[in-house]
Amino acid sequence: MRKRDVATAAVFLALGAAAAAMTAALPERSLPNTPGPAFFPWVATVAMLALACVLLARGLTAPPQAGDMEETSPAGTAPMLALLGAFVAYIALLPRLGFLLASAPFIAGLTVLYGERRPAVVALTAVAATAALYVAFRHVFQIILPQGVLTGVVP
Amino acid sequence: MNADVLAGLVLASAATSLLATACGSLVGLVVGMIPGMTISTGIIILLPLTFVLAPQISIALLLGLYVGGMTGGSFSAILLNIPGTPSASATAIDGYPMARRGEAGRALGISISASFAGGMASFLCLFLIAPLLADVALSFRTPDMFALVLFGLTIICSFAARSLVKALLSAVLGLLIVTIGQDPVMGTARFTFGEVEMLGGIHFLTAMIGLFAIPQLVENLAPGGALAAPVQRIAPGWRAVLPSLADLRAIRLAVAMGSGLGAGLGIMPGVGGPIAAFIAYDYARRTSRRPEEFGKGSPEGVAAPEAANNGVTGGALIPMMTLGIPGDPVTAILIGALMIHGLAPGPLLFIERADFAYGIIFSFLWANVFGILIAFAGLRVLVRLLAMPKPLLMPLVAVLCVVGSYALANSFFDVMVMFLFGVLGLAMRWAGLPVVPLLLALVLGRQVEETLRVSLTGSQGDVTVFLTSPISLAFLLLSVVSVVWSLRPRGGWIAAASGRRAGPRQTPEGS
Repeated sequence: MRKRDVATAAVFLALGAAAAAMTAALPERSLPNTPGPAFFPWVATVAMLALACVLLARGLTAPPQAGDMEETSPAGTAPMLALLGAFVAYIALLPRLGFLLASAPFIAGLTVLYGERRPAVVALTAVAATAALYVAFRHVFQIILPQGVLTGVVP
Repeated sequence: MNADVLAGLVLASAATSLLATACGSLVGLVVGMIPGMTISTGIIILLPLTFVLAPQISIALLLGLYVGGMTGGSFSAILLNIPGTPSASATAIDGYPMARRGEAGRALGISISASFAGGMASFLCLFLIAPLLADVALSFRTPDMFALVLFGLTIICSFAARSLVKALLSAVLGLLIVTIGQDPVMGTARFTFGEVEMLGGIHFLTAMIGLFAIPQLVENLAPGGALAAPVQRIAPGWRAVLPSLADLRAIRLAVAMGSGLGAGLGIMPGVGGPIAAFIAYDYARRTSRRPEEFGKGSPEGVAAPEAANNGVTGGALIPMMTLGIPGDPVTAILIGALMIHGLAPGPLLFIERADFAYGIIFSFLWANVFGILIAFAGLRVLVRLLAMPKPLLMPLVAVLCVVGSYALANSFFDVMVMFLFGVLGLAMRWAGLPVVPLLLALVLGRQVEETLRVSLTGSQGDVTVFLTSPISLAFLLLSVVSVVWSLRPRGGWIAAASGRRAGPRQTPEGS
């Protein structure tokens, strides 16, 4: 058995079942003999369920592999979760604090995560990169960036 | 010269377009060169700019990046033995041994020249074939378009992964995601959970930023790696870099073969730079007078894959421009950049905006010219960037992912979608599912549904409508062939029968 394939197939079967339930609830607004709004979701859902069954069968019958379920990323799980956590915090704070106040600590955190340990370098990178990105996007390329609490304070 | 061709040349040669092409080439060379950053990462960096720049300038910028990135990938392959992009993997086989014996400059010179030759060959293909193919595509009816788009998807699946089932699952997931939002024929809301923001569906540019950038940011968290490797030195002086006449003569066949193969294979969606480069390398070795030198630092071994991966670029633009079918993530982005400005790639582009279509073709020409000029002129400065620290680069890429997805529609919803697709990309990597079929299903999905439903509505639900048109039938048969071909045992049926094993298949992921 190849556990990774079996797990993947199980996720797709669950997803396919959920999609089938939601597709069945779609309104039928169609002329006779013509495909309605639910037609294409049905095609995709049935294809997904069929392919997931094939993957499941192959996963169950395949010879086992050593280290099948182990982590494949060379980076390890803890740094990955830290990075994803930083993203979640950044995305949550961005609308409230605005680009300048949210980006500087995010960049600082990531600089540390990618291996820089000198506090002065981390601080300088965070401030300089945030300011440079803000000026480049906001003033050179005229792209709107969220201002948050600094609305009306910074140009 | 045809008036549209001339108008296109003028558009592409305007000062702003040329500046954009040159900037794109420079960024492309840098991101292509730095291991851990691919051409897709470069596009993510420049993406927010394409929302505000004029379409011709945006395209010039992205084309410069595409071509420059292909060339830049070979720099780190030669100097570090680590390909900057997957397309440069084959270049490292002979490029690094050349650098080890003190010929780093010679290898880089050969690689840049071969890239230029490959790019020019593919420009000629693009210039000559694209308008003809657009003419042919104009006669396609809806069932033909459905069969064509389906063929585009299946051929991408058959190239994209070791397991066809996994590639197809990835594509089907994309097709299901595409059904979120208003249905393209009747406007019925589907799977929106009552959210107004979901009505517009998932934009594939947002999805692409997450799918490519976040897994790459995670991968770069690994300590040491590429940037800790020793960089081989380039001997001083121009003569160390510019290829000699004897070298050019020695590589001419390998370059011609690589260019032709690259441009030809590039037309097929999903083939991508890595596959073309390895095929060209293999052919160059078989036809070389000195095959024993391959793997030990053969100039032909550097020239063939580099000509091929740049040859792919122009080839890949042909189905993108004439049929609206992207062959890889970069051409998918180009489609997105055009659509943001209300320009739909496809045969009508050559009718309604022929000047613009030729503008794209000539911008591609300029991208190749700037590629070679900037690569030779800035080589010594550029290679110093190989020592650029990861702690400085990666946080910038992370912020740009967020800015890029926000700037698309000034919406935080898109930022969240980007992040969720990043997590999906990580999960898919764990499961061994390729992301390219998913991405291309996101690009082509609405077209698949629309053409399928319109065809069936026209025929009153009769599915034989797809079999009675010769064009549709041909593409459906090609879809079947591409699926059967990908199910063949590794190394071919005969090899499987005799028990011989072949090497791993390459994926076009990330170019």
